[in-house]
Amino acid sequence: MKISSLTRLASALALTAIAFGGDSYAIKVGKIITMAGDPIENGIVLIEDGRITTVGEASEVQIPWDAEVFEAPDLVAFPGQVEACTSGGMDRTNESIDVAPFLDVVDSVDPVNFFFEEVLRAGITTLNVQQGNSTVIAGRGMIVKPSGMTVAAMMVRPQSGIKIAITPKRGKSRAVQLMILREAFAGLRRTLEGMVQDSEVGKDLARREALAQGRDFEAEEGKGRAMTGSGWVVEGLEAVPRASIDSKLLPLLDIVEGRISVYLVCSTPMDVLHGLEIARENGFLSQTVMLIGPTCWKVSDEIKAAGVRGVILPSTLEHTERAPFADEDTVTLLPTHFTEKEIPFALASLNSTTQSLWFQAARCVGLGVDREIALAAITSGPAEVIGLGNDVGTIEKGKHGNLVLFSGDPLSLQSQVRYVFIEGKMVYDRTTDTRLQHLMEGVEPEGTAADEPVVEDVHEEEREDGDK
Amino acid sequence: METDNQPFQQGTLTALPALALFALVPALGAQEQEAPPVDPAILIKAERVIIRPGKEISDAQVLVQGGKVLAVGKDLEAPEGAKVFESKVVCAGFIDPWSTLGLDSEFASRADTNILTRAIDGLNPYGNEVHLEAALKSGITGVGVALGGKASVKGLGALVHTSGRPDGGIDILLKDAFIGATVGNSGDAFDRIGHVERLIKYIKGGENYRIEQVEYVHELEKWRAEIIKSEAKLEKDFKKAKKAREKEIKEAEEDGKEFKEKRYKEDRPPRKPRYDAEKQVWARVAGGTLPLVVEVHRYLELRALLDGTKDFDRLRLVIAGGTEVLPLATTLTRRSIPVIVWPAPLGADRSASMRGHDLSLAGALAEKDVRVLLGSGGTAGTRDLPLLAALAVGHGLEPEKALAALTTEAARVLDMGSSLGKVRAGYRADLLLLDGDPLSSNTSIRQVIAGGKIAFDAEGGQ
Repeated sequence: MKISSLTRLASALALTAIAFGGDSYAIKVGKIITMAGDPIENGIVLIEDGRITTVGEASEVQIPWDAEVFEAPDLVAFPGQVEACTSGGMDRTNESIDVAPFLDVVDSVDPVNFFFEEVLRAGITTLNVQQGNSTVIAGRGMIVKPSGMTVAAMMVRPQSGIKIAITPKRGKSRAVQLMILREAFAGLRRTLEGMVQDSEVGKDLARREALAQGRDFEAEEGKGRAMTGSGWVVEGLEAVPRASIDSKLLPLLDIVEGRISVYLVCSTPMDVLHGLEIARENGFLSQTVMLIGPTCWKVSDEIKAAGVRGVILPSTLEHTERAPFADEDTVTLLPTHFTEKEIPFALASLNSTTQSLWFQAARCVGLGVDREIALAAITSGPAEVIGLGNDVGTIEKGKHGNLVLFSGDPLSLQSQVRYVFIEGKMVYDRTTDTRLQHLMEGVEPEGTAADEPVVEDVHEEEREDGDK
Repeated sequence: METDNQPFQQGTLTALPALALFALVPALGAQEQEAPPVDPAILIKAERVIIRPGKEISDAQVLVQGGKVLAVGKDLEAPEGAKVFESKVVCAGFIDPWSTLGLDSEFASRADTNILTRAIDGLNPYGNEVHLEAALKSGITGVGVALGGKASVKGLGALVHTSGRPDGGIDILLKDAFIGATVGNSGDAFDRIGHVERLIKYIKGGENYRIEQVEYVHELEKWRAEIIKSEAKLEKDFKKAKKAREKEIKEAEEDGKEFKEKRYKEDRPPRKPRYDAEKQVWARVAGGTLPLVVEVHRYLELRALLDGTKDFDRLRLVIAGGTEVLPLATTLTRRSIPVIVWPAPLGADRSASMRGHDLSLAGALAEKDVRVLLGSGGTAGTRDLPLLAALAVGHGLEPEKALAALTTEAARVLDMGSSLGKVRAGYRADLLLLDGDPLSSNTSIRQVIAGGKIAFDAEGGQ
């Protein structure tokens, strides 16, 4: 299938236009690693309206007449990889304010950032973009796909989570970090309690006024919504319309009421314990994902008991420690450890390209982790961890049609990402990847400055003039 | 889960901080935990039981169960299954009120603390196990720790336990034991005096805040009482008012005028004082529910501090260091201000502020009836404290007072006097089993019982 990028753009536009008529794709490959059961040799994936409708052997699947068919009998289809938490693709990764949950990453994500091009090249199709670790409570992050010219087009799930750092930023102490964090939630609580109190005082006054005027008083019913949450609850909040609450505080209330995920940065075991305490106090344990450090396996029992949604492993996959007075090193292989503890986990990219997810997975296998565990840790694992387990992470009926076509085994050093499909549409084609061609083959992309002889000609003429 | 975001609540301004035992680390706040298995009882048969310094009984037994001393007396029988120890001397476990043991070394010396930072947030048992164990083996069971190194305000100090928990954490005896502060160590005397003045300003601010709060609560009560009265009257007059209103409506209709409701006026409720998290804690300091431990060495600052705080009647000031405090001893005695002395040999690494330091300070202060405590100078060198205490004894401190400094006095200053520091029924079972006089350098510790468990046994029983 060779279509020039222009034609493809045109057809994409056309397809968008008739999207409601239903766009239908069929991708036929040599092998499908579904990550939900055994691999399928000579398989077909049918995608309709962005979702997978059928996965099966070529001989058993009927391709609809209107489907755009893509055939690649030599390639291996693999679920689009899922990056569980990254700070890439924003104009600034960090905020300078300590507590900034009222900010939204949507205003910071830059669709033309090279980062998105690079992750696509590495076969990542879902990214949870959260702010960096230098704030205490960061702005609201979102889940995106690395394709689209606008943030709206990239959007998979807006306001998917808020990052909270227990580990202090460089030069700060943990006690100060925790103090700021506690004060943020205490401040929310004080404000809400104050509002409830004010509304009661107001109601009492209105009642007395009615008495004095000789009027029958009918108390207005609360216009708001009662507060829910498993940590603490301010009684009587239904008397306060939610719209009257300071919008800067609402995201924190969302956390306490369990409506938004929390990405908790804990790089030491003590950070984990403090993080769990704060999550428990404020009722967001069950929607918490922990970004842990290499030593945090020491508190894996506490993490398990707390019932958080999962953990995101550090780039150090193997932790080595020499105990005092002991003559032996203790080596802990994190992916294996967390598998044994039955704690859902995800791998994370070291950085965007050279040490991307598949590289981390391959390192896992190199260190002795089970291949299935390593592959799951970059697909279904992170999908579960970020709460998109029903939408991405495997090639299964009902999920988004996000596929990566490798030239061979996904973990082989010699394999390349040839094509990437997001919701059925081809969004990456290695043969038209001009930047890659420039790098690998020295092919100057068409229309770049180096190819334009016009400027040189002018100088030549000038020189010639001078000569004369 | 209790909230400790609000250091105190309206109306409970003078309530003492909760003295409950906290076991927050690492099962921080985990409440739904299965009940721990009950430890077997322990019976100690001792030739001497030092109930508290100055009160001993000979040939007695101490029965320990459920983490506490159950009974002390003669002819106590060992319950079934009890572990029996024989010992020459039994005394209470030592407390080091001035230490950084167990704190994360990376954060312990940062100067970015303020009154709201809490030492328990800086605890890190991972990597500190060796030091904690060493302190335990030398008889120290309780440690008062504060973060902030040389920060002028170190925040909330905690009293923690040295015996490790089975899950590798640190037991917290009291999470809000004191507020720590340091008078700067700058070479400029005006600078240092400035520090003292700032400290006094903070206390003053806290005192004002406390008074404001108390007054607000009072005003609010008064207002409420008034309102209740007027409300009762309104209710009584309601029928009349209703009739009057109906009449007025009717008249207005007849006259073709618009009916206007009567205006209602009442006294507004008193304004709530503006919330200030820092002042809230300073109010606890000024109100005496939290002791203020100030590290201060030189005479000038000591005098300025004592002068500046003399009007705060409720303030519970504790001096740490006090290198040049001796000339002020009578004031200390009169105001019952304890001094935590660090009776360490003057090593090369001692700071300039300690130059005038003298090993006989503790003895000299005690002689003038100043309440003397002994501490390890805000370092993690808690292990050596019993040795340092012996050194202080060698330089004139009465052995009995040295022992009191490490047990009863330390517990009292940190608000734990009714549960720590004595071998008495109902007290926490932090006990040392010794083969001689405590604080003698010839004595060795045979066993340490911490929180009712055998935490160390030199005979290798565990």
